[in-house]
Amino acid sequence: MAQMEKALAEAMSTIEGAIGVALVDYTSGMALATLGDNQTFDLNVAAAGNTDVVRAKLRTMEMLELQGSIEDMLITLTAQYHIIRPVTGKNGSGLFLYLVLDRKRANLALARHRLARLEAELEV
Amino acid sequence: MAPPLPPRSAVSGDDGGSGLLGRYAAERATGTLRGPNGCVYLSEGAVYCVECPAVPGPDARLTAAGRLSAPSRQRAAEAAGPQRRGGRFLVEQGWLTQGELEICQLGALLDAAFFVLPLAPGSTTFTPGEVHWLGVVRSVSAAALQEATARRRALLDRLRPWAAVDQAPVVPVDPVASEGWGRSRGPGGSQGSTGAVRPAVTGRQRRLLEHADGRRTPYELAHALGQSAYLTLLDVRGLAAAGLVRLPAAPAALPRRRPGASGADRRTAAPDSAPRWHLPDPGVLETADPDIALLARLRTALEENL
Repeated sequence: MAQMEKALAEAMSTIEGAIGVALVDYTSGMALATLGDNQTFDLNVAAAGNTDVVRAKLRTMEMLELQGSIEDMLITLTAQYHIIRPVTGKNGSGLFLYLVLDRKRANLALARHRLARLEAELEV
Repeated sequence: MAPPLPPRSAVSGDDGGSGLLGRYAAERATGTLRGPNGCVYLSEGAVYCVECPAVPGPDARLTAAGRLSAPSRQRAAEAAGPQRRGGRFLVEQGWLTQGELEICQLGALLDAAFFVLPLAPGSTTFTPGEVHWLGVVRSVSAAALQEATARRRALLDRLRPWAAVDQAPVVPVDPVASEGWGRSRGPGGSQGSTGAVRPAVTGRQRRLLEHADGRRTPYELAHALGQSAYLTLLDVRGLAAAGLVRLPAAPAALPRRRPGASGADRRTAAPDSAPRWHLPDPGVLETADPDIALLARLRTALEENL
């Protein structure tokens, strides 16, 4: 298993309720690494689709001229949480982390905290 | 040094999964496909490296980020040996973590693929067995790479009216002049004096503006900063659309974007048959007239939503 998947696997094992996680390039929609059960949830499709969400939000932030940057975005479904976290490398790497959680088992605050640590580990 | 951007037919996806790359991928070939703009390295049909002289490679990115010195890079290339395990050597020496290497290598691969694909059948040669000195760090399927490249092309094409800035030195517009827009709206303006129309800039764009010295082109800036050439083009076109980067003085004619022209059928038409238009007079975007500046930005916003 490559290093990126290892980092994702570690995150998955320590985040209660994690169903899947992916590292995605948001201009091409390509998932650089994914982990999770692709039978229940196609992470590659989710990765490509969510690039539009990330770009739209980043663009809105620019237009509003809000100070600060996006730490994460939360999308709440009836049965799942989806958390999107742009990776803020100094090169403006254009990547984001995508985490899918089972709402019944997940602790949102802890999951966000753990995802922030994962981002720090992946930072280039 | 900057390659011409590949033909627009790539957008319509008629190359998707097929084409020259698709054929070699289906044959599970190992070796290199050398095209006019660069080189694609295959291992058993999967792409593990793409090189393009116009794009900073993984080593250039790592050097610019201060993670790898030029002598270390040289030593790794020499130590790679016939097995071509330069990547493993870099990690074993403790100069890089495996994760850093993977992210950098994939980022550079995606970036170069944008300029190298699609490969032109007439001018591409295949060398079986040739291997890159970094070795196989990560690989992606040819189909996934072609899809990703098509999405990137569609995104850049939304800013096509500002394509003239691609090859020219990046010249920031005088910030005093651009501030004048917001002020000239005055208290009588319906938007108020806060100037809701002042163009906004992302962190990456701000960094580009800081490094733009009026001499370096977007490609040269990408090399200097060790960042993606594709993202640099996208950012510079965006800055030009916002009126923050000057359009070159002698713009080339571009195919006209007509209403409804975003359909795939239109894109396959030969560019020569399309009516032509000329870029707006560069002076237009520097105008102190707030209405014209607003119209220019409104057009950008509309095109982005097409």
